[in-house]
Amino acid sequence: MADTKNVEYVARLAKIEITDDEKESLGGQLTKIIKYIDKLKTLNTDGIEPMRGLHPETNAFREDKAILSSCRKAIIENSPSSQDGYFKVPNII
Amino acid sequence: MNDFETIIGLEVHAQLSTESKIFCSCSTEFNSPPNTNICPVCCGYPGVLPVFNQKVLELAVRVSIALGCRINRTIYFERKNYFYPDLPKNYQISQYKMPLGQGGHLALPEGREIRINRVHMEEDAGKLIHKEGYSLVDFNRTGMPLLEIVSEPDIKSPQEAFEYLNQLKLILKYIGASDCDMEKGSLRCDANISLRPAGQTEFGTKVELKNMNTFRGVRAALEYEVKRQTAALNRGEAIIQETRLWDSQKMASAIMRTKEEAHDYRYFPEPDLVDFFISDECIDKEKSFVGEMPLEKQKRFRSDYGLTEKDIDVYLLNPRLALFFEEVVRYYSNPREVSNWVLGPLLEQVNALKSNFETVKISAANFSKVVKYFHEGKLNNLTAKKALALSIETNEDIDEIILSQNLAQVSSQEELAVFVKESIEQNPKAVTEYYQGKKESLQFLMGQVMKKTRGKANPKIAKELLEEVLKNNRP
Amino acid sequence: MNIDKEARQIAENIYSKKTSKEEVFRFFHSRAKKVDSYLKSFVEMYDNFTPVNGDSSLGGLPIAIKDNICIEGKRITCASKILSTHVSAYDSEVVRRLKKAGLIIFGTTNMDEFAFGSSTENSCYGPTRNPWDTSRVAGGSSGGSAAAVAARLVPFALGSDTGGSIRQPCAFCGVVGFKPTYGRVSRYGLVAFGSSLDQIGPITTSIADSAHLLNIICGFDRRDSTSVKKDVPDFTKSLSSEGKKFTIGIPQEYFGAGLNEEIRAAIEKVISLYKKNNIKIAEVSLPHTEYAVAAYYIIASSEASSNLQRFDGIKYGLREPSRNLEELYCRTRKIGFGDEVKRRIFLGTYSLSSGYYEAYYIKALKARRLIRNDFNEVFKSVDAILTPTTPTPAFKIGEKKDDPLSMYLSDIYTISVNLAGIPAVSLPCGFTKSNLPISFQLIGKEFDEETLLSLGSTYQSCTDFHKKVPPLR
Repeated sequence: MADTKNVEYVARLAKIEITDDEKESLGGQLTKIIKYIDKLKTLNTDGIEPMRGLHPETNAFREDKAILSSCRKAIIENSPSSQDGYFKVPNII
Repeated sequence: MNDFETIIGLEVHAQLSTESKIFCSCSTEFNSPPNTNICPVCCGYPGVLPVFNQKVLELAVRVSIALGCRINRTIYFERKNYFYPDLPKNYQISQYKMPLGQGGHLALPEGREIRINRVHMEEDAGKLIHKEGYSLVDFNRTGMPLLEIVSEPDIKSPQEAFEYLNQLKLILKYIGASDCDMEKGSLRCDANISLRPAGQTEFGTKVELKNMNTFRGVRAALEYEVKRQTAALNRGEAIIQETRLWDSQKMASAIMRTKEEAHDYRYFPEPDLVDFFISDECIDKEKSFVGEMPLEKQKRFRSDYGLTEKDIDVYLLNPRLALFFEEVVRYYSNPREVSNWVLGPLLEQVNALKSNFETVKISAANFSKVVKYFHEGKLNNLTAKKALALSIETNEDIDEIILSQNLAQVSSQEELAVFVKESIEQNPKAVTEYYQGKKESLQFLMGQVMKKTRGKANPKIAKELLEEVLKNNRP
Repeated sequence: MNIDKEARQIAENIYSKKTSKEEVFRFFHSRAKKVDSYLKSFVEMYDNFTPVNGDSSLGGLPIAIKDNICIEGKRITCASKILSTHVSAYDSEVVRRLKKAGLIIFGTTNMDEFAFGSSTENSCYGPTRNPWDTSRVAGGSSGGSAAAVAARLVPFALGSDTGGSIRQPCAFCGVVGFKPTYGRVSRYGLVAFGSSLDQIGPITTSIADSAHLLNIICGFDRRDSTSVKKDVPDFTKSLSSEGKKFTIGIPQEYFGAGLNEEIRAAIEKVISLYKKNNIKIAEVSLPHTEYAVAAYYIIASSEASSNLQRFDGIKYGLREPSRNLEELYCRTRKIGFGDEVKRRIFLGTYSLSSGYYEAYYIKALKARRLIRNDFNEVFKSVDAILTPTTPTPAFKIGEKKDDPLSMYLSDIYTISVNLAGIPAVSLPCGFTKSNLPISFQLIGKEFDEETLLSLGSTYQSCTDFHKKVPPLR
């Protein structure tokens, strides 16, 4: 991986701004990590089902009942920017 | 000019009719003030976890059954990752590899079947309001339970797309899964459309259409797109794979994004939710809510009962009314007359009571007597309605009402002759006018007969008798 | 007050009115105020004594909470700049249970940012120091909780363990760290790192205290779909192996090259102690161990990359001024996240991105199944598995800063347990020549915390390593 183009692509997906220096250093570190992780390629996993999760239970349901949350005010107050009860965000371009 | 074949696939998002959201206990109430139906879970707070609403699964199973889908018995959710301010976690919990329903179909009124590719559950995003230089976010809609219903590219014209949507809405409403109100946003539709030269087997380049707010809007946007693509192809231009937004004011669409900017959603199994197993009991229970599909019912009501299309349409939208109608017909096999009385006087009286059909107490058996006695002449229009009014909230026996209220129609010639004679004798002015050619006078004299019999006179016999006596007495 | 008392002994003294809740609080508070100025194990300490009504064997005791577990009305930051002003709107399930049991929330402890790390150096507040040697790391990511308990600044604490984040710092600091079975303790209110791996657990000075704390925090919670409906036993009844016949397995894969010789020698002493106590020892094999670190870093980072997307500057926490939305996201996350967080987000995003998903993410899930199958196979013949907790004792602050991979490999003995979802405990079992704690790990069957408590209490009844208190300035 970890060529500059790849690092840029992942940065775009992850929405993290990176400098040219970081592209280099992150790229280098990630290359090393991925080289280690690539040892998985030597593992024979023929016929093995991917283990999606541990799932100690199945059918963990909630009853369809509406409950008013007591946190509504705190949630709006926590917002870095709000207006008339709305969360406010800059121009979407 | 070449002939082109149009190929359309529709993606419908229907909001399921639940009290609370899909993964938290917030209310699904429409039109609440901004950010009032919110909690740490639907706002994506650090540390919160989703818990799945059982009703959502039940309604989704119901829809899958109604659309004839194969139901996957073990399902799980996945995360669809993308950043957008209306998505608090910046991922949407949805289904990807293992949707609830697959491989269904929906029949159109004139007999064509559109195949359904998949039916899956997901959470809705919030609402964005765009202002000059900034946007406002309301998370009330975040986490509303949605069902995505994806058709195969089987639809051949904008009109057929319109019919598909109407039919789908009819089914979803009919089984109580969604109120399908496009104005409330509880039904939304995106369309994929491509054209290809007639006879060609491979598909043309598809264009995605978004932002249509009505079924008519979907049809108009597709019609616009057929014209646009036909013109382009005839000019020898290639169609570009893109997403276009419909503008209902301008009645035109414009490019939103091209494929180069397509997302990499990085789907993976949602680790905060477990697997869900759909039992036989669940399927049986939901099957009982589905019953007969609207189109089947429409056919049956036409062939078995010979009802008018207008009557059938009312029954399709009101399953309980239809059920009552069919029960009444079982007691008195005169479907047209029964339907006249169900959709006529019965509904009128329900409306007059400012009530709804669910509160009507009169039994089908009892109601059938009203219709039967009317048809046989034992009750006339007036007395039949009176009897119905007395029984509608009590289910008191119609026979007893007729006796106690003395409603039985007077049909005997001798009895009626007395009242006819009296009416003629007491209203000489009207009689003179009748002979002078004033037809309304006959109505007046009939009214007198009715008054004297307190509405019980058999109007047909009384009228004949009146005319006969007047004829015989003509000076 | 005496610092050599275990938590439940202090609680007994409160119960028998030999001391008061307030006196206990004041004792730990003044000690912590003094010592923590250079140890840096706390992010925040609550100065006011506010007694809680509630009853349990631990009622009235102060407890420290890792800074990624939500406490209503308190700052919860995950040691990250992006959350440095964030106040939680609600109590996590474990905190609700602690309050109900009458415990006093003493403060929040330092950690690696979002629990990504093995040294507590990746904290926006700076590293926590190891109380046995302040030039060394406390381990991580629950380094603050482990150091605070080791230095007796608080009787016990909660940590979270995704790949060893409770056990490894406890091994470095010489205290007991317990990671329960996945699903035993509700994750509601734990800021997620790797949702399929995370589990909250106790950090204590003795195994007996672990049992008492487990009694309080374990149990079904309907707000966590992955929490299990199983009945929770009274764990304190397992604090002796009398009358029980146990077999302990020793997996050869955990004793290869790279294991520090002093640790190897200490573990051999543990084995002979168990033999002396009539516990059978068997050689076993966990053949897929060598793939655990690779599978773990793919799975944990993938889940983390998605879990951390919610930190975007819109709803709470840091927001960097920007001209448009894209810039808001990218700047806030650039400034708000530290280097290690970025590395893991990049690795996880990459593993899930189109074209790599099958080769990395799905492959790792298959390896995970093989690793779990290894344990299932071994547990057919043994009751528990004994290994070192870490390959080396605590390393120097800064030593592995520029080598993330060698940092990842310091979790080599703890990671498989999280992939398999099974319980494990780290117990102190000696000191190196330079007086750094050494620990061993006991790994148990799914939902069999009891065997680990029995074996742990057998060991601690014969030894006193867990009673050693680091000399503090």
